[in-house]
Amino acid sequence: MDSQSRGIRMDRDLLRQCLTYHGESLFNKLKCEQIENPDFQAVVSDLCKATCESKSDGQDSPLVEQFIARKADILFCPTWKTATHKEEEEEQQEEEEEDAAEPYAIMPPMEIFMEVSYEERRTMLYRDLEKGDILVGRINNIREYGFFLTLLCTAGGLRRDIEDLELSALCHIREVPSTGSHDDPLSYYQIGDFIRAAVKDIDRYQEKITVSLQQAALSPGLEHIKLGVFPREALPIHYSRSLRAAADSRETYECILKSCHGYHNPSVVEYLLEKVGVSDTQPPSMMRGLQSKLFHEEDFASAIRKRQSASWALKCVRAGVDHFKHGRHVEAMNEYNKALDIDTNNVEALVARGALYANKGSIMKAITDFELALENCPDHRNANKYLCQTLVERGKQLEEQEKLVTAEGLYRKALSLDESNPEAQEALHKITETIQVSIRLREEAVAKEQEKATSSQTSAEKLRKILKEEKRMKKKRKRSASSNPSSTASSRDSSPSSSSSSSSSESSRRRSKKKNKRRKRGSKRHRRISSKESSSRRSEEGKSKKDRKEKEEEVEWYPAPPNTSATFLNQKGGPRFGERDEGEAAENDAEDKRISQLYSLSAASEDEESDSSQTERKRRDGKESRTGERKNSQREERGSRSGERKSSERGREDNGKERRGSDSKRRSSVGENRRRTVSCSSAESAYSRTSHFNPEYSGNSASTSKSVESRVRHDAPKRNSFDGGRYENRGREEVEEAKGEKDSRKGEDENVPGSGRKSEGAGNHTRPSSLTSVPEGSVKKDLPTNLLDIFNQIAQFKKGKGGGQRK
Amino acid sequence: MEGPSPSLAVLRDRPVWPAAGRRQSGGEAETDRDMKKHFRVCRFIMETGVKLGMRSVPVATACVLYHRFFQRARLQAYEPYLVAMSCVYLAGKVEEQHTRTRDIINVSHRYFNSGSVTLECDKEFWDLRDSVVQCELLILRQLNFHVSFEHPHKYLLHYLMSVKSLVNRHAWSRTPVAETSWALLRDCYHGAMCIRHTPQHIAIATLHLALDSYGVELPVGDREWWQVLCVDVTKADIDAVISDLLQLYDMEAKCI
Repeated sequence: MDSQSRGIRMDRDLLRQCLTYHGESLFNKLKCEQIENPDFQAVVSDLCKATCESKSDGQDSPLVEQFIARKADILFCPTWKTATHKEEEEEQQEEEEEDAAEPYAIMPPMEIFMEVSYEERRTMLYRDLEKGDILVGRINNIREYGFFLTLLCTAGGLRRDIEDLELSALCHIREVPSTGSHDDPLSYYQIGDFIRAAVKDIDRYQEKITVSLQQAALSPGLEHIKLGVFPREALPIHYSRSLRAAADSRETYECILKSCHGYHNPSVVEYLLEKVGVSDTQPPSMMRGLQSKLFHEEDFASAIRKRQSASWALKCVRAGVDHFKHGRHVEAMNEYNKALDIDTNNVEALVARGALYANKGSIMKAITDFELALENCPDHRNANKYLCQTLVERGKQLEEQEKLVTAEGLYRKALSLDESNPEAQEALHKITETIQVSIRLREEAVAKEQEKATSSQTSAEKLRKILKEEKRMKKKRKRSASSNPSSTASSRDSSPSSSSSSSSSESSRRRSKKKNKRRKRGSKRHRRISSKESSSRRSEEGKSKKDRKEKEEEVEWYPAPPNTSATFLNQKGGPRFGERDEGEAAENDAEDKRISQLYSLSAASEDEESDSSQTERKRRDGKESRTGERKNSQREERGSRSGERKSSERGREDNGKERRGSDSKRRSSVGENRRRTVSCSSAESAYSRTSHFNPEYSGNSASTSKSVESRVRHDAPKRNSFDGGRYENRGREEVEEAKGEKDSRKGEDENVPGSGRKSEGAGNHTRPSSLTSVPEGSVKKDLPTNLLDIFNQIAQFKKGKGGGQRK
Repeated sequence: MEGPSPSLAVLRDRPVWPAAGRRQSGGEAETDRDMKKHFRVCRFIMETGVKLGMRSVPVATACVLYHRFFQRARLQAYEPYLVAMSCVYLAGKVEEQHTRTRDIINVSHRYFNSGSVTLECDKEFWDLRDSVVQCELLILRQLNFHVSFEHPHKYLLHYLMSVKSLVNRHAWSRTPVAETSWALLRDCYHGAMCIRHTPQHIAIATLHLALDSYGVELPVGDREWWQVLCVDVTKADIDAVISDLLQLYDMEAKCI
């Protein structure tokens, strides 16, 4: 019977106390019952003495002693006591609040009903009263050295009936806090005042109590109780109840208990259980079979339910897989969803559903499922394998859309899951090469930009000068550039500076190298990719944007801000879900047509056009990135949580960088955004549509509507700089580049809130735009007649758009 | 009233068997056997209660429901464990700590087939569930829908608070009187004694036994502390409760 108690020590003091009370007979029974208990054998010699001191009269029932003896290993086990000292201190703290709310019946001290003798109560009080306890009394005498209290009741620490014990306490003047330096502190006190005071000292021998009104004299648990004078109504509840009981002998303990509204508190049991420190979830029992520690965790309801749900869900998954094998995809999906309903985050169901999604082409959904599965079970082989494959698949999709960096990230992630995946290795190898080529190109551009940027930074004066100069140059250039559109093959018309269309752009480049670099880069890139589909060209141009966009989109997908649906830009964000892909594809197609039309006009104009369309997009981005930022970081967290583990680090890195890009860009476009207060989504969509058409035409034309154009232009440098920042995460040049960007942006920022003219200047200064400020007439003059029609169209468009914007 | 489930061995109501009457009428041997059975079933209720995370009061209600049911019905007429399961379910409702039948069935199934696999959610499971629900209705009818009881728990806790202030705080804090009396109170429900005695008496008796066990001495006045707490209680009452309780502990050794 006692084998369970091995290893548990017995509380010697408690045993001694018990034996002193019960005497020899219990000791004998104990020795008999606990003979196998080594813990008892260890303390038995100590206890002999206690038994001898016993004052037991042998009245106790032998049955009770038998019980104590048998259960001694439980009763005197130190872990049997669950209430801790901390709980007891907290209990004191609550006392004051309980008086007000009374969560349980606050009863008068029992000795009132027991009619314990005066002497015994007095002795008990002097024995049990401690420093820091609170006493309540009335002032009966005031002397120059302090005042005397007639004690009425206790109010904290100890609860006893003391009213008729004829106790008085001295409060020395030192213990009265002085309110002013010049006043006698005692002048505030009058005979008859109710005083709450802390026990300062008890002279148990002389039976003298001194009290204090200093808060510091209180015991730690009672510090919040305010000492000093208080009104009669604030007397403790138990005191008024004891008065009631003393006045009327019919007021029994039971009557008072049942009249307390705390007694009727429906959760009084839980409250008091906590107060006395007994656990109700691991309830104590003297029955050996009911010792809570013997119950196994896996036998508890929650554990069983979990296992049961898991197996039930697994059954559904099996049914789903069966459906899947027979090509009944809908039924399979239903089973998987049911399984996940039953057991959220069931790994098998997630993997199976992910596989089904992947099969159906919803790659992002598939990835989400796999990642969730891996989060719950990082070593799941199929989940790892499938996720790896899906990531490569997704990477290829992105690669096709020229989102090289994101694609590369995905390949790396795939490799981190499965190092030996040949597909991923190959893809990563290929994409790294591609990226490096473009970095080289970019590097050059960045170097140029930086030069320019530093020069622009020196001072506002200088800047303005430069701007003016540049504007002048630009006007000239614009003339040449605007002529370019028409000059794919031959038109070496009225452009003042040009000999041929290509040479005209060349010459303008020579004239302002800094800007041209940028442009050259653009056109170069364009040439490099020209064999590809125009959509891919575009997406390459806007790649960084899209990358980021995509991230934002991921973020925004769930909460779906009101304008998302209306924005073209969001849809550009790369396919995330099946329908979306299609929508985007359609959009792209339409655009491609338009673009290819323009292509035929001139390389330079293409450059322009894509630039400004970027601009629009970016402006939007800037705006959204502000909202998206917070979410972005959330997403990061989520991402890292979602089981990417190793790869998440990389992803976060990229993300962080890109975010920095968007950050700085956002900064630059704040001014713009402030001006543009679009609240109604229809206006927004209208705007986005126009702004998306606009660049295409404005690319060819010199600006017809200046104000609009200048706004576009104004954004352009940001786009450029961001474009430059696309490969930021590639190497150390990124840092310089970013710096360059910032510099150039600083220049812009100065101009941002300014007039269209100023911002135009700013735009020009970083960008080889040749359009803006040329008077319409002069442009038209320079143009071949076949473009005039287009210009007219544009003018109409812009009117509409201008109106829309001003809204 | 007859449930569709085969596990509910329903016999039509027999004459009511009050607890005391049963003792006399059934003969010593049968009574003893019945008491042991009840003890085991109550042990099952307690253990299930802990595993279901039920508080003490709902478990106590479940036990009282069980004992009252078998006060009126013959043990041989109904499957006691099924009744116990339904009592747990019903007690959860009565005491506002709702417990799902699914959890009750799971825990019980594991109790009877320890280490076995968990139940599938199949026909067997649903049959069991039907049995529990049907049996709940049976209990309700048998008890005439009187399913709300006063328990000693509330009394005991208030008594504890009062007695505590009689004792030196240091002596009190090293003596686990609260734990012991609470354990004793919970253990009371192993037998029909929990419905034979009034709640106050049970509370006082458990507190008395706990104080006795540790040799805690309370001040003596003209009246004993237990006389104060409950005016009509006598020493004989307390001794009766304690003796019933100690009998349960004796039975523990015999049953298990």
